[in-house]
Amino acid sequence: MQKVRKNDNAWQSGRAKNITFIVTKDCQLACKYCYLVGKNVKERMSWETAKAFIDYVLSHENEFREESVVWDFIGGEPFLEIELIDKICDYLKLRMFELNHHWFNSYRFSFSTNGINYHTPEVQNFIQKNREHLSIGITIDGTEKKHDLNRVWKQATPNANGITQPSERGSYKDVVKNIPLWLSQFPDAGTKVTISSADIPYITESVLHLYSLGIHQVNINVVFEDVWQEGDDKRFEEQLMQLADAIIDGGWYQDYACSFFSEHIGKPLDPELDNQNWCGAGRMLSVDAAGNLYPCTRFAQYSLRSKKALVIGNIHDGINQNLLRPFLTLDRTTQSPQKCLDCEVASGCAWCQGENYDAAQTNTIYERSTAICLMHKARVRANNYYWNKLYRKLELEGRREEYEANKRDVKPEIC
Amino acid sequence: MMQYLVILLDDTSVSYCHADNPYKERRLINLDDLRAGIRYAMTENLMIQFVYPDYALPKEYLDVIDTIDHHDIVPYPLKGDVVVIENGELRVENLADAVVVVRLKKAELFDSGEAIAATLPKVQRLNVVVTDLETFTDEDLKRYNTLLDQWAAVLNAEYLHGRTPQLNLLTDRMMLTKPNHCNAGVENITLAPDGRFYICPDFYYSQAEPVGDLQSGPAIPNQQLLRLDHTPLCRHCDAYHCRRCVWMNRQTTLEVNTPSHEQCIVAHTERNAARRLLESIRKEATFMPEVEIKEIDYLDPFDVRKEW
Ligand code: SF4
Ligand code: SF4
Ligand code: SF4
Repeated sequence: MQKVRKNDNAWQSGRAKNITFIVTKDCQLACKYCYLVGKNVKERMSWETAKAFIDYVLSHENEFREESVVWDFIGGEPFLEIELIDKICDYLKLRMFELNHHWFNSYRFSFSTNGINYHTPEVQNFIQKNREHLSIGITIDGTEKKHDLNRVWKQATPNANGITQPSERGSYKDVVKNIPLWLSQFPDAGTKVTISSADIPYITESVLHLYSLGIHQVNINVVFEDVWQEGDDKRFEEQLMQLADAIIDGGWYQDYACSFFSEHIGKPLDPELDNQNWCGAGRMLSVDAAGNLYPCTRFAQYSLRSKKALVIGNIHDGINQNLLRPFLTLDRTTQSPQKCLDCEVASGCAWCQGENYDAAQTNTIYERSTAICLMHKARVRANNYYWNKLYRKLELEGRREEYEANKRDVKPEIC
Repeated sequence: MMQYLVILLDDTSVSYCHADNPYKERRLINLDDLRAGIRYAMTENLMIQFVYPDYALPKEYLDVIDTIDHHDIVPYPLKGDVVVIENGELRVENLADAVVVVRLKKAELFDSGEAIAATLPKVQRLNVVVTDLETFTDEDLKRYNTLLDQWAAVLNAEYLHGRTPQLNLLTDRMMLTKPNHCNAGVENITLAPDGRFYICPDFYYSQAEPVGDLQSGPAIPNQQLLRLDHTPLCRHCDAYHCRRCVWMNRQTTLEVNTPSHEQCIVAHTERNAARRLLESIRKEATFMPEVEIKEIDYLDPFDVRKEW
């Protein structure tokens, strides 16, 4: 199969609009860290809702000026709704063509899946049909042990409120069997790994395991929620230093990347020049089964622990532009506490607007949560170690220039 | 820094700002709370503004009120430092010394062009408060612009005759060299009849969360967001007379530090009308030489914000 990332620059420079269909809130799994606190089996998007949403977006071309678009499908598990998705994608292609929309030929479909249904004929037919415009990420957390720590099947019956409950059965084997097929179709694909307190001891072996499966790009993040225990930062730093040793000593750094290590992180930030917001909320748009619109899926009720959903409109009335203004004017300094403004290692220290909102004392997106503070500082120390060690090795081998010319540039992942 | 304490004496105290007061049942502030509020203002060096209902207060209340220097905000036809007129007719006889506040809806505003023009020479200061500002459309703005120019013509003539009546919508901007927003929760705070603090009366009227009580004093969570330096749009804006109403912000954008499109375009229409008025006064006389209002080609600072 042809490689799909033809137009990488446009997609990565942030000129693409990201539009997400929350097609279902159901999933085969009940991952223990899943931020979707209200996952349930009831809310599936209907074709009428999807169509009305598409009609709204495509008929308001003036409000969506971005050069290109990523139509994103998430859940729950999006491939549970492959039939609906196939219909949506056909309709999108047809309407973009009929309307001579500026997104026709400048779109792609994107999926984050748990990989369990990847091999099924329905999903494979869809992939064949749309392969020129597709990117698919499969989430696999690392070794079997690490993966099965969190990514477990759900119990057959939900609780009294219709909310799914975790079982004891891990999902590693059901996912890993599809990895070779996936990589044959998307050789450049990466996977997303999320680290919570209990995962720290498994980081090194997990990343190496993913490399050994043939996954070249591992995007790894610590969760933004306030889950950290005393001493986690030290343990985290040690794990990352071990990982640095393993990547460098094992020569993995040449063809494989891990987003923990980046030359862009750990520097002070200028209040004027580096004032941009980190996350894309408000520049993205999400729709759920009820036809409500959100600045990002993280503001839908099923993603929030303690706040009410932040709805910015619906498929019938469109977007209330006043509700988007706070998102589109938000900058780094206004939401950050003083310690972050003075921070010597601030670059790369991320936040999630949805988590900020959920954790804030008042109903605001303007109060930055700094639950990851110590973890970021630990990451910066290990990152410094990584680059010092790597560059020294390359210099001693006389290969530094060669490396610099060919290196993969790992940009901090925005969300 | 806090400078004012607003004390709502009764649940039916008159509203002098954007939100309507929905309370119909009388409920006076508890006398002990009133005393404690006054004590609080004295210890914090705050000037008190009492806000009255439309009926006469019991003598013991008046006696307590009298123990401290203060300003009175009253509904027409009571006498006070600030007199609020609601529901139509603009009657300003005998109000030459007071600040007159007229609260009206957009539709009433458009019907009141003549009445306001005729009133301007008779008052020291007129504050016009449009209570449904969030409904302004581009079409409304055109009509509003015409009204402002009509009032500006009256003010122009008055100023050239050495009289200086003030109309908040026009003359404030003409005299300001820096922002003069409402600053609720930063420079002023409100004590309500329930004995608790609110960011401003409108927060109380709209049943928002209190921000402290008389025992422990006010403690506003995320208070920094009420400050000008935490408002990405307003801190760069020179519509200095704008109320920058944090209550309206919250109603329309859900964030106290982010104004709606409508609040901005209305304020900028006023700003631009003030600019024209200033120019026309200056054709005849030297006036406020330190004030400069630049020509701009936008009405909403959001449209010229720095894009990241
Ligand atoms: S959260 Fe901590 S590490 Fe991150 S910018 Fe703020 S002070 Fe720095
Ligand atoms: S960081 Fe959070 S709020 Fe921002 S785009 Fe990502 S999930 Fe949404
Ligand atoms: S006009 Fe808009 S940006 Fe300017 S101070 Fe008023 S509310 Fe803020």
